[in-house]
Amino acid sequence: MNINDTLDVKREIKRYGFSKPYWDATRQKKLVIQYCRASGKYQHFPRPVSIFTGKRRDLEWREVSGKGEVFSYTVTHRGTAAFRGHEPYLVVCVTLDVGVNHIANMVKCDGDEIRVGMKVAPYWLPLEDGTHLLMFQPDR
Amino acid sequence: MSLRDSAIVAYAETKVMEKSDRDVWELGGEILESLLDKTGLEKREIDGLVMAGLSSTGAGNVFWAQTTADVLGLEVDFCEQVHTGGCSAAGCVARAAAAIDAGLCTTALLLFADTGVAEHNTRDRSYRSEWTEPYGLMGPPGAFGLLSRRYEAQYGLDYEMLAKLAVTQRAHAVLNENACEKLRKPITIADYMNSRMIADPIRLLDCVMPCDGAAGLIMMSRKRAKEKGLSKCVIPIGYGERTNYRAGESVVDVTRTGHEAAGRKALVQAGITLKDVASFHPYDDFIIAIMLQFENLGFCEHGQGCQFIRDNDFSYRGNLPLNTGGGQISAGQAACSSHNLIEAVRQLMGEGGARQVKNTANALVTGIGWINYARNWGTSAALVLVPEL
Repeated sequence: MNINDTLDVKREIKRYGFSKPYWDATRQKKLVIQYCRASGKYQHFPRPVSIFTGKRRDLEWREVSGKGEVFSYTVTHRGTAAFRGHEPYLVVCVTLDVGVNHIANMVKCDGDEIRVGMKVAPYWLPLEDGTHLLMFQPDR
Repeated sequence: MSLRDSAIVAYAETKVMEKSDRDVWELGGEILESLLDKTGLEKREIDGLVMAGLSSTGAGNVFWAQTTADVLGLEVDFCEQVHTGGCSAAGCVARAAAAIDAGLCTTALLLFADTGVAEHNTRDRSYRSEWTEPYGLMGPPGAFGLLSRRYEAQYGLDYEMLAKLAVTQRAHAVLNENACEKLRKPITIADYMNSRMIADPIRLLDCVMPCDGAAGLIMMSRKRAKEKGLSKCVIPIGYGERTNYRAGESVVDVTRTGHEAAGRKALVQAGITLKDVASFHPYDDFIIAIMLQFENLGFCEHGQGCQFIRDNDFSYRGNLPLNTGGGQISAGQAACSSHNLIEAVRQLMGEGGARQVKNTANALVTGIGWINYARNWGTSAALVLVPEL
């Protein structure tokens, strides 16, 4: 099955203030994830407090590789308004090496190749404002 | 003093409509009138209003319950809006019982009114705008696509067993005059298997169709029900609710849901076991959600859902009647997702008509509310009902 990489879809992203460090880091194609010093664990999506302790002061941002493996995936045959006409495309949920799940699109991968457990690496899609959108590609 | 000191004395519902040509408050008014007629109560005797917040029409209005009280001319001592998504209907029963028990009100109107197809006023504020919409993940079908594929990778998934549930529920909708007319046509296993993919592996016939409609209940203390001569009633005897199951973990087993906790709590409180469940009215937004509830409530082991479906007969005449009104997937998702609850009350009152279940010893109703990020769902609820003895 041919899968659309959706690279030319215009993305509207409404960002919350407390996730700013994530987006700032993507300008250099770097992935930073929130880390809780008290529990020694990572969390994603970004929160205003640690989901492990409930405290803001326990959080810091740490750069991570962005490598991981596919936790699950879905082939979208009926897309959202912005993606209409670009189906089918892949949405994957990836467990990063640091133990968080990150939802994104999968590119450079066809429908016969995708599977749960597949190793993936980051792919950065440039956005108009100079930040990048994290996507994944097979880590071949 | 407990949950079981309260009684549901009447239910009402409109027919499920693809799109309402009447205002949401007209539907609410129709429910109020019907409930007053059924109970013989005067409007002034209603001193509590408990509204499901899962109203796409009402939810944009932060004064939803109050403005509804005003429009319907209700003067109340307890005015409440319940925001647990698809758990709101069951949640309204628990909260009304708690309010009656605490003396906050004596007679509550529980109102589930929504015309979200005709008039949609919600505005999302969640992770979606930042973390899933930029990737074109299509709301609930997309989330259930991810959930289903993960389940399949962990345990394997026989889609024909999901089809069996879809076919059974559809047969029930055919018998339900209040089900959405468009959906009152029988389907086959092949129809399900061949229905087009939406978010592979989620097919069209896995999904609910959002519809318009309203429903409602009247609740009061059992003592008051007796005084009023309202002898045909239904008693809530067990309730459990869990929001954000395993919230303090980054990666969870998505096949484990809050029903593990909510179900256990409800059943212990009710003093029954799953073997005692006479009819089952689970929340159904996607077919696989029913199977996940079999597993998480404990009808079967995790990963054994398909085998459990194979081994049981879920028709209204079967050993475990399932969503005898058709469920939301085959009756249409309307009235703040309250129809499975209303159907359970109807069955326990012996008013199931052509689809009346034989065993009315109890009914187990559940809820599923909201979709969170990379998990399964936000709130799980379980409610055990019995007829007044």
